[in-house]
Amino acid sequence: MTISVGGKLPEATFVKLGAEGPESVSLGSLLAGRKVVLFGLPGAYTGPCSTAHIPSFIRTADAFRAKGVAEIICVSVNDPFVLKAWGEATGATAAGITLLGDADGSYTKELKMDFTAPHLGLIGRSNRYALVLEDGVITHANIDEPGVCDISTGEALLASL
Amino acid sequence: MLTEGMKLPDATFPVVTDDGPRTVTLSAQLNGRRVVIFAVPGAFTPTCDSAHMPSFVRTADAFRQKGIDEIICISVNDPHVMRYWGRLTGAADAGISLLADAGAEFTRAIGMDYSNPERGMLNRSRRYAMLVEDGVVTRLHLEEATGVCEISGGEALLAAL
Repeated sequence: MTISVGGKLPEATFVKLGAEGPESVSLGSLLAGRKVVLFGLPGAYTGPCSTAHIPSFIRTADAFRAKGVAEIICVSVNDPFVLKAWGEATGATAAGITLLGDADGSYTKELKMDFTAPHLGLIGRSNRYALVLEDGVITHANIDEPGVCDISTGEALLASL
Repeated sequence: MLTEGMKLPDATFPVVTDDGPRTVTLSAQLNGRRVVIFAVPGAFTPTCDSAHMPSFVRTADAFRQKGIDEIICISVNDPHVMRYWGRLTGAADAGISLLADAGAEFTRAIGMDYSNPERGMLNRSRRYAMLVEDGVVTRLHLEEATGVCEISGGEALLAAL
């Protein structure tokens, strides 16, 4: 599917690191009956993701909650071990942002958000986008051009609510 | 399949530096040199963090005293993750080269790949350590299980030299 306002996200299974190790998370169970912000980015520890994208959602997390957002989710094509370390290093975990690994990249491909840049060692990764979902239906979609972190930031998405 | 006596296939690895991305060619690192290569399932995964990498940080100087020209850690991660992991574990300071087999081509070419989807680990590397002389594997310490770090540790390989 292509991301568009009014569309519904496909069901997906992500992996995250829980207290007992990696565990599966069903996207549908997080979205059903809730207002959720979901954003995607190329990868943990890649330059602009660490320095701009994640911090923009850390800064705005409380403002999103004040607007009724029940959960803020970051999806990246990484394994759960890398995501856990990155979430702690950036402060995203402390800010209450949920980090989910699309470990095999299948969800990102299904959304047609995937790109590959072999010289950067990035294969089947995600372009930047930020969505607001209500009961799984996309109500706002800010999709950046590849390599740009502009309208998919926390502030830009917040301003559109 | 990786065995003693085998000439390693050539491979290229993307590396991220302060001056931007560059490419390392494996054959250029191996030709005419004695090199230790060890591989881990992933940066930031428990056994790798807590045991395997530290064992080579501890033994790096002892390997050099035995005439080892370079110590290389290979993992199926992207070079951005590897760079941060190298800093956090002290590997970079110990002079260990971290090479990202981002697309798992090298790991697959030597038959060392495995997948464990429940843990979000896809096409990752089994755990091994080896001495490579002029591109030929002369000592191979391959762990039976990925969660174990015994014969593939720095001390065990050092004792075998």
